[in-house]
Amino acid sequence: MRLTPRPVAGALLAACSLVALMTAFSGCKKTEARKPGEVLIGFSSRDLSAEYTAKLSEAVVEYAKTKPGVGLVMVDAQSDAQKQISQIENFISLKVDVIILNPCELEASTPAVDRAKAAGIPIVLVNQVTKSAGNAYIGSNDVDAGHIAMEAVAKKLGGKGGVLMIHGIMGTSAQLQRETGAREVFAKYPGLKLVDHQTASWDRAKAMSLTENWIQAHKGKFQAIFAHNDEMAMGALLALERAGIKKDVYVIGIDAIAQALTAVKEGRLDATVFQDAVGQGKGSVDAALLLARKQPCPKENLIPFQLVTPENITPFLK
Amino acid sequence: MPALDRHLLHRFGLLLVILAVGLGLSFVTDTFLSVANLTNVARQVSINGILAVGVTFVLLTAGVDLSLGSVVALSGVACATFAHPGDHTVFIPIAVGLLTGAACGLVNGVLVTRGGVAPFIVTLGMMTIARGLALIFSGGRPVANMSSELTSLAGDFLGVPIPVLCFASVATGAWFFLRNFRLGRHIYAVGGNENAARAAGVPVERVKLFAYGLCGLLTGLAGVVLAARITTGQPNAGQAYELDAIAAVVIGGTSLAGGVGTITGTLLGVLLIGEINNGLDLMGVSSYFQAVIKGVIIVGAVWLDRRQSRS
Repeated sequence: MRLTPRPVAGALLAACSLVALMTAFSGCKKTEARKPGEVLIGFSSRDLSAEYTAKLSEAVVEYAKTKPGVGLVMVDAQSDAQKQISQIENFISLKVDVIILNPCELEASTPAVDRAKAAGIPIVLVNQVTKSAGNAYIGSNDVDAGHIAMEAVAKKLGGKGGVLMIHGIMGTSAQLQRETGAREVFAKYPGLKLVDHQTASWDRAKAMSLTENWIQAHKGKFQAIFAHNDEMAMGALLALERAGIKKDVYVIGIDAIAQALTAVKEGRLDATVFQDAVGQGKGSVDAALLLARKQPCPKENLIPFQLVTPENITPFLK
Repeated sequence: MPALDRHLLHRFGLLLVILAVGLGLSFVTDTFLSVANLTNVARQVSINGILAVGVTFVLLTAGVDLSLGSVVALSGVACATFAHPGDHTVFIPIAVGLLTGAACGLVNGVLVTRGGVAPFIVTLGMMTIARGLALIFSGGRPVANMSSELTSLAGDFLGVPIPVLCFASVATGAWFFLRNFRLGRHIYAVGGNENAARAAGVPVERVKLFAYGLCGLLTGLAGVVLAARITTGQPNAGQAYELDAIAAVVIGGTSLAGGVGTITGTLLGVLLIGEINNGLDLMGVSSYFQAVIKGVIIVGAVWLDRRQSRS
């Protein structure tokens, strides 16, 4: 095919406007020359479309801005572990001083950690662990979250009754650990029966459909629903409310996202478990800076979970 | 008319599969065959149903729309943004949701017809663009605090869930349109043989633009209904919805090569998928197996159906 001048001009114009567009939207420090002594952090966020992760990532970005001589490049892995590995590889070729990784998955994101370590770049894991340990882990032990939530259910039901559990995406460390924590409580109370359990992939609409189906399948046989996150707890809550049986069922989620807190305050949702997104975000930046400056840094910084009920909700609403 | 017979067989074979699965489910569970549960199934299929009807038009023109799920999210976010209590009358957020969807569809249509880019690529681009826009407009957070007028759209009207009414009217309208309107017949002509249609004086570009625009409008409607149902505009909603919608249409006998297919078939395809989803939950089938079983039944249904229509 022979290129006529018009398509060539068109292509050039398109390329120029594309570059202009990218520059207009980037606003990051990537293209600027590195100042001597500046610490450059590469941060790969799991998924900016998930409310909790978005909050954590915002805390990372905002907190890094308050530190003089610190640059930060943030990328979004959109829940895709493959993409996350390539992002870490890009950070390595960018020669960042330290990486903060918010892993997509327990197993699949492990190669990302291995690559960074092989390249000699310290890596901080935040919110979720991988099979290979990073140089530091900032997060909360999700087993505790599952445990706290199920204990609240057990207490409410007096250690006896039917429970439905809604899983997150199967195989994510949060799902696995929250389930482990919940099952510890089931083992403790023989009267507590797990009537059914199923995944709704952290998704509100899916949890709502699942709960509608469960209401048909197990009507009267369950007194509580434990969802691995608040989005799904909200879905279960809506289904129960529409069916007019919310008063018979105790519903609890994890994460304490804004809507769940409002629902707890209004007395619709019974409880949630608070996970400190801002605390985790700041903690990961602090650890990253210690590692980049070759200062001693604790291997693990666990930020505790807290049960949020209508009685103690005020400080969480801020 | 042999073509008519083949379509009847299509529907008949699929109807048999649906009845067989339903019969099986009513034996295995004691809850499947109840009014409450069947209402449930109807409510749960309505969003996929509206999307499937829309994408039927596009598939009939031998196109494809992969942007459905993302456009659902974008329309839902757009709708929810204007739906805070006391802001506007309920018609404004609905119109915003519908128009957002229609706009995305029209952009797809223009790029396919005027730009000459393959539908697969155009709508793949729209898939990520719409998702990105949904995240930008919502700041990555679910848009909450929707007025009760809007969320009541997910409630009941005279005992029938409103989403089901929406789906039923969309399906009836589309069925009537494709059979009785000249534009409806043109859609088949364009998908059957584009050059022949053009030679016969069919305005091919306009017909395609209409198909993509209508598909977008219905996707917007699905976004509004979903937002009402989950009482928020979720930027990450609708993941992979296009797959369920396209699967339903193809199960219903519409050819991916265009020109062949009916709304009745799409309706049956939607019902089969909904029936499977509901049944697997009722039976308490483990999450790991659900995905496999669903895939096997979908491929199996299409295989049975095609085999029957060949014989």
